[in-house]
Amino acid sequence: MNNATNATQTAKAGFKLPFGMRDFGTFIGLVIIFAVFSWLSPVFFTGPNLINILQQSSINACIALGMTLVIVSGGIDLSVGPIAALSAVVAASLMVAGVPIPLAVMAALGAGALCGLFNGALIAYAGLQPFIVTLGGLSLYRALSLIYTGGNPVYGIPPEFRAFTNGDTLGLPTPVVIVAVIALICWTVLNKTPLGEYFMAVGGNQEAARIAGVPVARTKISAFVFSGVLAAVAALILVGRLGAADPTLGNLWELDAIAAAAIGGASLMGGKGSIVGTVMGAVILGSLRNGLTLMNVQAFYQLLATGIIIIAAMLIDSATRKSG
Amino acid sequence: MKATHFTQLATTLALVGLSSVAMAQTLSPLNSDTEADRMDWSELDAKFGELPAVPEGTSVGGVSKTLTNEYWRSLGEGYVNMAKAHNVEVVYQAAANEGDQLGQLGIAENLITQGFDALLFSPQTDVNLQPALEQANEKGIPVLNVNDAVIPGVANYVGNVQKDNGVRAAGWFIENNPNGGKVAVIEGQPGVFAAGQRTAGFTETINAEGNSLEVVASVPANWSRELAFNAATTIIQQHPDLVGFYANNDGMALGVVEAVKAADLQDQIAVIGTDGISDAYASIKAGDLTGTIDSFPVLTGEVAMEVVLRLLAGQDLPRVVSTPQALVTADNIDLYSTSDMAALREVLLK
Repeated sequence: MNNATNATQTAKAGFKLPFGMRDFGTFIGLVIIFAVFSWLSPVFFTGPNLINILQQSSINACIALGMTLVIVSGGIDLSVGPIAALSAVVAASLMVAGVPIPLAVMAALGAGALCGLFNGALIAYAGLQPFIVTLGGLSLYRALSLIYTGGNPVYGIPPEFRAFTNGDTLGLPTPVVIVAVIALICWTVLNKTPLGEYFMAVGGNQEAARIAGVPVARTKISAFVFSGVLAAVAALILVGRLGAADPTLGNLWELDAIAAAAIGGASLMGGKGSIVGTVMGAVILGSLRNGLTLMNVQAFYQLLATGIIIIAAMLIDSATRKSG
Repeated sequence: MKATHFTQLATTLALVGLSSVAMAQTLSPLNSDTEADRMDWSELDAKFGELPAVPEGTSVGGVSKTLTNEYWRSLGEGYVNMAKAHNVEVVYQAAANEGDQLGQLGIAENLITQGFDALLFSPQTDVNLQPALEQANEKGIPVLNVNDAVIPGVANYVGNVQKDNGVRAAGWFIENNPNGGKVAVIEGQPGVFAAGQRTAGFTETINAEGNSLEVVASVPANWSRELAFNAATTIIQQHPDLVGFYANNDGMALGVVEAVKAADLQDQIAVIGTDGISDAYASIKAGDLTGTIDSFPVLTGEVAMEVVLRLLAGQDLPRVVSTPQALVTADNIDLYSTSDMAALREVLLK
């Protein structure tokens, strides 16, 4: 009991450490999953497959990082998938029209930021619920990309752009490196800057934060803009990988992202969350899918396993908190 | 004896070399309905002989859309039937739902990592398995696109002629409505190749050659029974003198049947679906659904597995092998409702 109390205190006091107690718990979960699959499948713990797992987890991790910032600040973003689809369509259409790649990339990021700004402004200034606003956004942004493309994928992505996203950087697939850099940026923002403290404060107790002088509206909007831009980054990675922008891409991404953040220790009540935890949460979900596929477990049972992992993570989370 | 083996080996190597050269060249984007380099499944034996003996230890991996749809479960059954008959190891996987594009890509990549000899892809969309196709090409693993969504750069495709589904349904309406009348189409997901082709086949045939039928409505219901029910209810209200519906799949057709029943117009409105799922057969037998264009998924699966084994044996098949389809109505349903694939083949080959 004493140990547990100490542990919780350490976790509280050391929340700004790169590796809190809660993160250690997630890490143990990850190790167990890796150990089990390595024992069950000879292919699982091999270099190419581990790279596969990172590659397959990278898009969800990217979305989940933005989601974590939104959740920490007391919100939720259900519109990430459609924002990604819209950004993908914008980037692809511009590239196909002959616009230089860097400009098209900037435009896609801009589209993501704009969607995030729209969500955030409605929430911060019109005082609407994040759940409802982004539920509206989910239909709205999807409709825009479907209407613009007439439902057809945009083909003809320049090979230079594809070569970039499909290539390797430092011996790892470029998307993995990009997401790792983004994770580092998010970690720094959340743990080392005033904005990160504002996220925590607004999510923890909005009224107290306002009295303490935190710019609540701008903090909320920033979180949604982060989420929108990261959705656009994920979209760009996917467009490069697929060689086309499908207006239907990103279906149900919000749920995978929320799951990764929650496994990593983010609380939907706000004020709590960990970047390191979220990244591990995404890798846990990715390796679960990968391992179960290697063992030829059907999709229905994969869903079952994912559900069990999420609920188990939450139970352990709640148990460790009560004991403190 | 050894010499023959050597010749065989040399031929195989030469073929592998040739096919990889062919792969290296960019293939023209595939339209599985109009591609000229094609043949019918029934000609396989006649043109290429019986399936050559399959080497021991051959393994084939299949990934399809989702197992919540009976069509894809039946397709997998066909894979397993043919694989068992030739001692081939087969793994058949699918994503959690039809919207899960990345999940399906992940499964395909994992199958490649595991080192199967050949792969059968039924992609969610035309693009989502593109990276897996590229990886497989790099490793020289043959990929066969089986039905529905078409990866534009794929070298081989097995499936039915989507447009023909609509053409056959339209043919039935023309034959049975000599005095003309109003018909409506319930479409699948907008932008999906199969939905577009089926609708186009139906509408073009109805509008052609001055017959007096008219398509008064054509609305998407995204493959959903519920949306189809709602859409059909609205259309019936608008056009109470309608004589028929064509739905892009059976699930939607069954939704339409409910709407027609609710409006008490069963004697006036005929409903034809597509796919030939078991619910559709039951509904035809019960006298509710008028007909369905069956594309015989189990048999399609068997043909696909046969084609991939022929490709592995080095046979140079046309790019598209089309699979059987037929209009099933109360008149001929007994002929087609058999689980004995050998008997079904006989019926279809007649």
